[in-house]
Amino acid sequence: MSATVETELPSESNVSKSKDRNRAALRKTFLGRIFRSISVSFWVMVIAFSLIRLSPGDPVRIALGTEATEEVVTSLRQQFGLDDSFIQQFWSYFTGFFRGDLGFSFFNGRTVTEIVTTHLPVTLMLIALSIGFAIIIAIPVALFVAISKKDSINYLFRASTSISLALPGFFLALVGLLIFGIYFNWAPAAGYEGEFPGNLKYLWLPALVNCGSLVPILSRVLHSSLVDTLDEEFVETGIIRGVKKIRFYWSYLLRPSLAPTVVLLSYMVGVMIGGTVIMETIFSLPGIGRELITAVDARDYPVVQGIVMIFGLIVVFFSFIGDLMGYLLDRRVTLS
Amino acid sequence: MSESTHQSDTTKKKFVKEGTFGIYTGFVMLGLLLIAGAVIPRVSKYQPDELASMPLAPPSRQNLFGTDVLGRDVFVRVFDAVFIDLGAAVFGVTIPLVVGTVVGTLLGISKSKRVNSLVGSIIDGINAFPFLIFVIALIAFIGPGIASIVIAISLVNWARYARIARTRAVVVNQQGYVEAARTLGFSKKRILFKHIIPNVSSETRAYALSDFIIVIIAVAALSFLGLGIKPPQAEWGGMIRDGRDLFTVGIWWPTIFPGLALCWAGIAVAFISEGFTRRSREVGTR
Repeated sequence: MSATVETELPSESNVSKSKDRNRAALRKTFLGRIFRSISVSFWVMVIAFSLIRLSPGDPVRIALGTEATEEVVTSLRQQFGLDDSFIQQFWSYFTGFFRGDLGFSFFNGRTVTEIVTTHLPVTLMLIALSIGFAIIIAIPVALFVAISKKDSINYLFRASTSISLALPGFFLALVGLLIFGIYFNWAPAAGYEGEFPGNLKYLWLPALVNCGSLVPILSRVLHSSLVDTLDEEFVETGIIRGVKKIRFYWSYLLRPSLAPTVVLLSYMVGVMIGGTVIMETIFSLPGIGRELITAVDARDYPVVQGIVMIFGLIVVFFSFIGDLMGYLLDRRVTLS
Repeated sequence: MSESTHQSDTTKKKFVKEGTFGIYTGFVMLGLLLIAGAVIPRVSKYQPDELASMPLAPPSRQNLFGTDVLGRDVFVRVFDAVFIDLGAAVFGVTIPLVVGTVVGTLLGISKSKRVNSLVGSIIDGINAFPFLIFVIALIAFIGPGIASIVIAISLVNWARYARIARTRAVVVNQQGYVEAARTLGFSKKRILFKHIIPNVSSETRAYALSDFIIVIIAVAALSFLGLGIKPPQAEWGGMIRDGRDLFTVGIWWPTIFPGLALCWAGIAVAFISEGFTRRSREVGTR
């Protein structure tokens, strides 16, 4: 990013003018992002809804199997409104969403909303914990590598991050389960307990494995923006002024380098969600990913549709937040 | 060579060395795996689905990687799976690469605002879904199996390539050489295929290489979740799935070896991808 050099001293009116411009730019960006997120959300719903059209033949017949009588199939089709036109079906799905109604399971009569609200918290907790671990690991690693200018450490960093990107999470999870769950007995191999501090006992290992896909990407992006920051003159100023270590690391190095990392983190929520599905299956956690796999196995289409749509909307929401935060953290672009 | 070019020669040498080590290591690792996958199932005394010995026999001289729960030789099964796993991944990358590049390029150079915003919205919508989740959901609707995996991955991934290609095509379309070709009166088709697509695809191909790692893992992960290859066929994810419950009680060999093969394949591609990225970055900065 090229810094523009101000030769003129900022006068009173200049400052207020640039502040106004800044606020206007912020509002414009904000509104633009909101509009975009809403339109993407709409398409997410359309796509999730259209999925059922992909099934070869009658989805109800496929779900119920060949033993089901014709009457049962017809009545279920009617119940789910599958004989209406596509537009009608989508309209009722779309309006139902705003009433908190996502339809109900083909089999056990539970509503999709109920399934989502009972199981989503576990998944979100797991994702939050994974991201937390990733931050705790990535920041010191990136800082260390950026500050040490040795070639060998840089090389090691690049090699190890590209290797760890290529390791399959589900295999690591099994190895982790064997080492920490069975051998050291530090983590329970299965089971879950709902309350907050107690559930950490069950969540720490899956979260740790899950963050394995995030740490290399996160530390790389942070590392490269740290390297850019280190070239800035204010860092040198900080060193010369003898700023205290912690303040130096935070305000002079990390804070100016965070914007790309925050944006990346919000985009990585989608990858984390994919990872939690696998972790929930392996560690038998009652999250929404495991519900998805169960529903896929049973061909419980309304549940699959609902869960996929919720995940899509979560991703849209987080990329909105991330874009905005990245913008707030680094407004140099519009200021100049 | 004259004195003045000496400096640039040494820098050139340095960057060649930088990327090349990764590329060579990666290709050697991948080559070894492919050779093993081609040779070992043919020369082995066991068939991949033959009952070779006692069930769950630990690794020995007869069965280098031991036997699985049915008594099949894990060694030959691990290498029998090479072409299934990597083949599915190759298709899962190439189809979306081609489709996404073409669609994205056409979108980038098209002047119709309506088409642009409609297809653009669909692309954004597809990209909003978490990759693995959307693939799993698609497989739920089109049914499990190796072909379904490839189809599902392609249906999801083309949109990622299309997004990259569209952004790039808008830039390429305004370049001087494209303008020049237009002025010379070349046909639209020729400009598209000879001038625009090659320059757009350099970007999408670079992404394809790193995507290949993700797809290799995704194919195995989907089989691990029980959505992939049908049982008698050896496949890494499926083998890990079969050995999973035994793994935690100390019978490690039916799980560890396919897992290591998968890691090996992933790391090989990661090295190649990393090498090429280093190389292009060096070229770009110099």
